[in-house]
Order: sequence, then structure tokens, then C-alpha cells
Amino acid sequence: MATDAVPLPTARGRWLNPLTSSGFAPVLPAVAYLVLFMVLPIGTLLLFGFVNIERGRIVSDSFTLQPMMSALNDPLVWRLMWRSFWVAVVSTVCTLVLAYPVAYVYGEVRGIWRTLLLVAIVSPLLTSALVRAYAWLVILGGRRGIVNQALMSMGIVDEPLRLLNTDLAVLIGMTQIHLPFMILPLLAVLSARDRRLEEASLNLGASRVGTFFRVTVPMSMPAIIAGLALVFAVSYTNFIVPQLLGGGSYSTLAVQVYEQTIVVLDWTRGAVLATLLLGTCFAMVFLIVGLGARITRWNEVSR
Amino acid sequence: MGYLVIDKVCKSFGKQQVLANCSLSIPRGTVLTLLGPSGCGKTTLLRSIAGFVEPDAGSIMIDGKDISQLAPNQRQVGYVFQNYALFPHLSVADNVAYGLRVRRRPADEIARRLAQALDLVDLGALGARFPAQLSGGQQQRVAIARALVLEPSVLLLDEPFNALDAQLRLTMQIELRKLIARVGITSIFVTHDQLEAMTLSDNVAVMGTGAIQQFGPPLEIYDRPRSSYVANFIGRANLIPGRCEKGFFTGPQPVPTAVADGEATLVVRPENLTIGTGAGPGWVGKIGFATPIGPTVEYEIDCGWTEPLRAVVPRQFGWGTIPAQTAVRVSISDPQAAVVLAGSRSHGH
Repeated sequence: MATDAVPLPTARGRWLNPLTSSGFAPVLPAVAYLVLFMVLPIGTLLLFGFVNIERGRIVSDSFTLQPMMSALNDPLVWRLMWRSFWVAVVSTVCTLVLAYPVAYVYGEVRGIWRTLLLVAIVSPLLTSALVRAYAWLVILGGRRGIVNQALMSMGIVDEPLRLLNTDLAVLIGMTQIHLPFMILPLLAVLSARDRRLEEASLNLGASRVGTFFRVTVPMSMPAIIAGLALVFAVSYTNFIVPQLLGGGSYSTLAVQVYEQTIVVLDWTRGAVLATLLLGTCFAMVFLIVGLGARITRWNEVSR
Repeated sequence: MGYLVIDKVCKSFGKQQVLANCSLSIPRGTVLTLLGPSGCGKTTLLRSIAGFVEPDAGSIMIDGKDISQLAPNQRQVGYVFQNYALFPHLSVADNVAYGLRVRRRPADEIARRLAQALDLVDLGALGARFPAQLSGGQQQRVAIARALVLEPSVLLLDEPFNALDAQLRLTMQIELRKLIARVGITSIFVTHDQLEAMTLSDNVAVMGTGAIQQFGPPLEIYDRPRSSYVANFIGRANLIPGRCEKGFFTGPQPVPTAVADGEATLVVRPENLTIGTGAGPGWVGKIGFATPIGPTVEYEIDCGWTEPLRAVVPRQFGWGTIPAQTAVRVSISDPQAAVVLAGSRSHGH
């Protein structure tokens, strides 16, 4: 083989060589940036939950688990965490179900349709999530909301449905806002897939539906996992949508972090809740990615 | 008599016609090679048989039944893809059992047929591996086992040796030929490699411009090419322009022929030419370039035409080559070995 002639990299060379898989050097700028401007500030904020604060000053060398303990003993915190969790799970699953066909169709169409579809998928990202949440307020809101007006004018309902300030409104808003994050990884994998595998499946006697579930879906598993992890993380920690579409009495863990920090100005409580939010979010993302790695074990051996 | 009959199949992609009234008939249990340059339509024809391509016109019949309207998953046609298209997320055993599972065969039958198929290709020990953990030759065997386990009516193989290196290619060609003989399945290979076609098949179909140019046993096609296109594609040939008059191709060595009077081309294989220095009939020229291969020496002889004549002469221990610029006389060793084609040559180099 021609590669025999290439000298083996030394330990130092391997570390700095961007072309070997173990080379760590290429990620250094990004890591340095994130440590400086994300990890350190967040760490500092979270630290507020574990120190004594007296008259607006941190008591030096103090460390306390008392605020964390009181939060963990508060049933409200657990209720909020549970709601954050199931809302995020349901909306993530809805996102996957809605995103997959779109990404699949993108792989089937060509030319101008493909461009139009991509623009349609990406364009929601051009408006802020806040604006889109307000848009849902208009669509779902009370008697004058678009949905209720349509339903009443068609005579399907007599009284306006109570849509706003419900779990349903939060789920609808979240699913729509996070849809692009699911479509984009799926679309990348599905449009680049090897169609001969599907032909092979048909040739071996499988139906088109069978081929889809036995070949197409398993082959796109890495993208599904990536999309699930991504969308779960942003749904679980989103506080704008629950706050706007859930109404004043609706709260999740993320909303509580916001309110404790910005409204109540109890930074200790805010920091403790943020620690819980971030910790559980990380745990869930690791769980999804870990399960995904088990399912896509075949992907490992192909390296 | 044909087991697989392809009748006047046409297919166009946009404005480009890929198959033009392509017809072919293959006896049961024989191995056919579709031979042709890339873009001649041979893969499209194979994909039409499997149902991946829907022909615009014509019919495809297996054992008297028209299958051209059937969906690909109802055709019972085995297909080995160019890069094997093994399912990367399934183990070797799951790949081979795939077709049995989608047919919902009973578990004990699946286990029995799976074991048989793996044994057939000598992969019994590798059932738990994933395709990415196999060598190219092993992957090919998995692809063949996956097709054969369903006992298809015909086996189609699209350039199955392309992904293998030269050494392994020869071994696998012999292995595959033996395997197909043992199973006795009607098979079609697609290839652009004429040596592969000669090695593998009972019959060769030379394809060009969307149709079969010539069909027959490999040696028959080699000895009696019906066009300069076929003569050039299978082996190498000298194409000598000339005229036919009164039943003979005119020249220093008149060749009897049934071709009508007028412009004609004489086709002679390099090994059917002899080089001499004495008197007698033959073309006079000078040795241009000698390539000593080992068992043979290949000469280019300049006879004053645009193309030199090529002659391949056997060689034994100690024999040297004829030096360049030597004046020689080239003759056809056996006039039977020459083929006269009507018209001036339209193909070739």
C-alpha cells in the first residue's frame, strides 16, 4: 500500500495534525471561545445558588447546599420539572413525526421545487422565536383568534374554544418553532442516502412501506438521534413559548428560572433552578445520544 | 426455447434513447454476459429486467410469463449490485435472511435456508459481522447469498467484480463460475471487460447504441464478428479497407466471400497473421515496433496505411525479436480465419 511510505506521526505531531482523527488542534479556537464566553459566565451564575449572599455581596469562601436542598424538597419544583419534561418530550415527538415526511420529500424532488422547499423550511428561522410566539397568540387567541373565527364561521363550534393558555397551545407553538431543527439534520441525511439500498430491499421482495421502515428509517437513525437531542434540549429549556402561550398562571422550570432571576430578583433561587434545569437537560441529551449510539452500533464499525 | 426473453424493449431518459428495440433470448440454465462500453445501455437493460426501470415499450418474459408489468418486489429476480448494496445496519446473517423475513417465512425455515445459503458461499462463520467488517470479496459473497437464498428464477449481476482488485477479481470470477454451475441458475452478468465476458459466460451479447449487436458463444463472436464494432470490442482486430469483386476480397491474398461487390473491410485477428521474409502472397511492409510479451511477441508492421498491421507471433525460449525497419511480408495463415464485412469501416481506431 502507498500509505506505508508515510512516516507514522509522533505523539506531538498527532495532537497537532488536523488531518488525523485524534487531532484536537482544530477545535481549540471554538473551545477557547466557548469556555471564555459561555462556560465561565454560566458557571459564575450557577455559583450564586451555592454561596451565602449578605447585603448583596458574596460571603467569601462560603459554600452552602441549603438553597438546593430547599428546592429539591419543594413539590412545586418537581411539578414544574415534570411539566417541562413531558411538554418537551411530546413536542419533540410531534416535531419528528411532522419533520420526517418533509425531509423525505425534499430528497425526492429536484430543481426549483427543492430550492423552494429549502427556503420554506429555513425561512421561519429568519424571524425570532418571540415574534413567532406572538403570531401564535394571534392565531389561537380568544374569540377573535383566526382558528376560532374559522371554526365558528364554518359552524363547527358555537362558542370559541379555549385554546390559548393551555398545554395544547404551548405544544403547538413549540412544535412549530422547533421544526427546522429537526428537519435540517434529517434532510441532510435523507437527501444524500444510497437509493440502491432501497432498490435492493424491493428486489428482495419487501413492499415500499416495508422498505421505508426496514431500510430508510434505520439508515437515517443518526439524524433522528441528532434531531431528537437538539429539539428536546431547546424545548425543555424554552421559556418564551410557555410564558406567552401558556398564560400568566402557566409555568415550567425554565419559566421559573426567568421569573426568579428577572422578576423576583432572587438570584440564589434562580441559580439553583437553572442548575436543576441544565443538569436534567444534559442527562436527557446524554441518554438520547447514548441510546442512539447503541441503536446505530453498525455506524461505529464502518469507521 | 428462450427462458428469459427480452422483446423489442425501448427506453429513453429525456431526449436520450438508451434502449432501442433491444431483443434477446437466453436458454434456461445458461450464463450470459452483456458486454459493452459504458453508456451503451447494458445496465439499463439489467435494471429493466429487475423492474427498477420501466421500459417505454416492449416486453420481458421469464418462462413464458410476461413480467414487465410487475413491481420489482414481485419479480423473483435476484440482483447483485455493483457495490453490492448490503444493508450496513444489518449483520451478514440478517442481510441474507432479509428476503425470507419480509416474506414472513416460518422461523425454522429461515434458519435452515439461511444456514444453507451461508454455507454455499462459505460464510458460515461470519454471520454476526456487519458488512463494513468484511473484505470486498466477502461482501460480494454476502450479496450473492442474499440473492440466491430466495431461489430466484434468474440472477442478475451488475459489474460484480468492479469493486475488487485485479488479483481477487480473477479468483472470484472462477469461484462465481463454479458456484453458478453448481446452482444451475440462469444468470446475466453486465461488464465492460471483454476478458471477464470470455471467462464467465456461455453466451456473450455485445451491446452498442441501445441494442444487441451480436449474440453467441464467446469464441464464435471472437472468430466471426459481424461488424467492425464487435471485432474491436472483443479482442483486437486488424481492419483492412479494400474492395470485393466477383466473390473475393481483392488483395495480395484474395479471400473468398459472399459479400456483394463494392467497398469492404477485411477483419483479421493479430494471431492469424504470419510474418515472413521470403517470396509469396502477402502485404509488404516494415517492422515498426515490437512488444515482447513473453510467450508471444506483438509486432506493428507499417504497410503504408494510416494504421499499422498488428501481428502476434508465438515465441519460444531463446527467440529474439525481428529488428525494426526489417522489410517483411505479412500473410493470413488461414484464409478461413479472416472475416469480410461489407462497407468501409465505420468504427475502430
